Amino acid sequence: MERRVRGRLAVGPEGVLRAPVVAACLVILSACNASPSQDLVAKGRQIFFNETFQGNGRTCGTCHPAENNLTLDPAFIATLAPNDPLFVAEFNPDLRKNFENPRLMRQFGLILENLDGFVDLDKKFVMRGVPHMLGLRTSVDSPQGPRTGWSGDGAPGDGSLRSFATGAVIQHFTKTLNRIPGQDFRLPTEEELDAIEAFSLSLGRQQDLALPLPLKGIVPKRGQEIFLDNSLGKCNRCHANAGATANFGAGSIGNANFNTGVENLPDQPADLSGELNPADDGFRTPGDGTFNTPPLVEAAETGPFFHNNAIETIEGAVAFYDGEAFNSSPAGKLLAAADPDGVGIELDGTQIVAIAAFLRVINALENIRQSVELLESSRSKGIAHRAEAKELITRSLNETQDSIRVLEGGGLHPEAVAHLREAQTFAKKAARSLFFRDRLTKQAIEEQNKARVQLVESS
Amino acid sequence: MRKLLAGIAVMGLWLACLAQAHAQQMTEMYIPIGQSPGVSGKSSLMGAIESVNPQKHTLAVSGPSGIQEILLTDRTRIWLDRTQARLPNLTGTLANLHKGLKVEVKFRDADQKRVAEWIKVQVAESGAPARKP
Repeated sequence: MERRVRGRLAVGPEGVLRAPVVAACLVILSACNASPSQDLVAKGRQIFFNETFQGNGRTCGTCHPAENNLTLDPAFIATLAPNDPLFVAEFNPDLRKNFENPRLMRQFGLILENLDGFVDLDKKFVMRGVPHMLGLRTSVDSPQGPRTGWSGDGAPGDGSLRSFATGAVIQHFTKTLNRIPGQDFRLPTEEELDAIEAFSLSLGRQQDLALPLPLKGIVPKRGQEIFLDNSLGKCNRCHANAGATANFGAGSIGNANFNTGVENLPDQPADLSGELNPADDGFRTPGDGTFNTPPLVEAAETGPFFHNNAIETIEGAVAFYDGEAFNSSPAGKLLAAADPDGVGIELDGTQIVAIAAFLRVINALENIRQSVELLESSRSKGIAHRAEAKELITRSLNETQDSIRVLEGGGLHPEAVAHLREAQTFAKKAARSLFFRDRLTKQAIEEQNKARVQLVESS
Repeated sequence: MRKLLAGIAVMGLWLACLAQAHAQQMTEMYIPIGQSPGVSGKSSLMGAIESVNPQKHTLAVSGPSGIQEILLTDRTRIWLDRTQARLPNLTGTLANLHKGLKVEVKFRDADQKRVAEWIKVQVAESGAPARKP
């Protein structure tokens, strides 16, 4: 239908006259097609990446950049310009002290948070990584109420995801440490909070996986078995279906907090730096030592890991649960109490790598799903929405690059990687092409599907 | 098997005992009275202080539905709202609560509305408690 209209635009004596009218109709029709929720998500996206709330220049996207899986790591930080608002503490004299620690930010991707109050700023703060925001729809709810941020208590007001942005603006967007609304920043309006929440919930997975998956690779397949084995890996207890909800046999208890002993890890990178890095007591003030369970499907592409970015690789993150810090923690002891042999988690090197391989593959599968979805969406955009189509293809390219990175990082599925590279080639051409975009996009989708078939049995 | 079930029961109990997830209260201190997202106009009480009883740790607030007595615990946070004076907000104490001052109260239990989780009180420019003229 749309193509026929486009044909009329190109040919015929009346085309010249009709072109603007038809183009206008296309825009109007397109606007009518967008549902209220889509409009809200689009508004939220606009606010998230562009609105500074009259503060220090940061936006939500400063710490949650779209091109880096909505999180920060030192490699990405190193690509930013010196005047990027992330580094505002380096060039705004009012924020030079007690706002960020530039060295820990640049070296380890750590952000300063005053979770235990805004007095004694020299000593009272914690340094935390930036959690990604993918799959939030599956990872915030708990019977005790919403859990946001690394310790599950990241939002002021009613503690909901919707209220999170208000706290973020006060903590991270302020021009001075006085933090006076209307002077150092403005608070988000009710409408803006609605839009940011809608956008946040639209990111990534909208539902949990249903494990086990019919995986093809021998090592990832074994990794999945260990992951699901409640007497060996025991991962599925707190990360049911590799998500962020816990299930101890009597049904899901939603997203939960645990003290897993991460704070007791020896030789934490930030500590080794010699910079002041106070202990983080987690949930509440004073804290109870617990932290929130993140989803694992997106883990392989969103390191460094844990609330303090203590571990760089997914293999290292899995290995943490085999270590002393975890097994002597309250959570480790509870697992041991539930074990017939009194063992917490005990894994060998090959098993650790197998679980990581499994996590890498499910991450790649999720990226492929998103890539295909984005490419399909781009195909539905007519010539009047070429820029939108190009943006969708660009986002798909980012996802594909992540697929390649997580698979190659584990030496997994080289055939799938080859198809993903082909998909990239077609998608790049599609983004540039004026006349063959649809055909090239279709070819990119085919290559994505071929890659998927390498990873998992087709249903 | 018994040990497994016992362990699961312990874990279940432990999780069930976790109190309701509270919001990160620390940025809350900078949110002016009446603007707390999801709380103001919904579950909080806004009004003027009628009386303070430091011995009993109670506060009487005159709100839209009459005078309500509120209990303060050692976990109740008190913040001095100086936003109107364009000054930074401060942490306060029971001594900052005086008759006539405008307050907003968030309750620990939104249904019973008895124990205060936090109290914001509007104070004068100096940061000293403003008394009703």
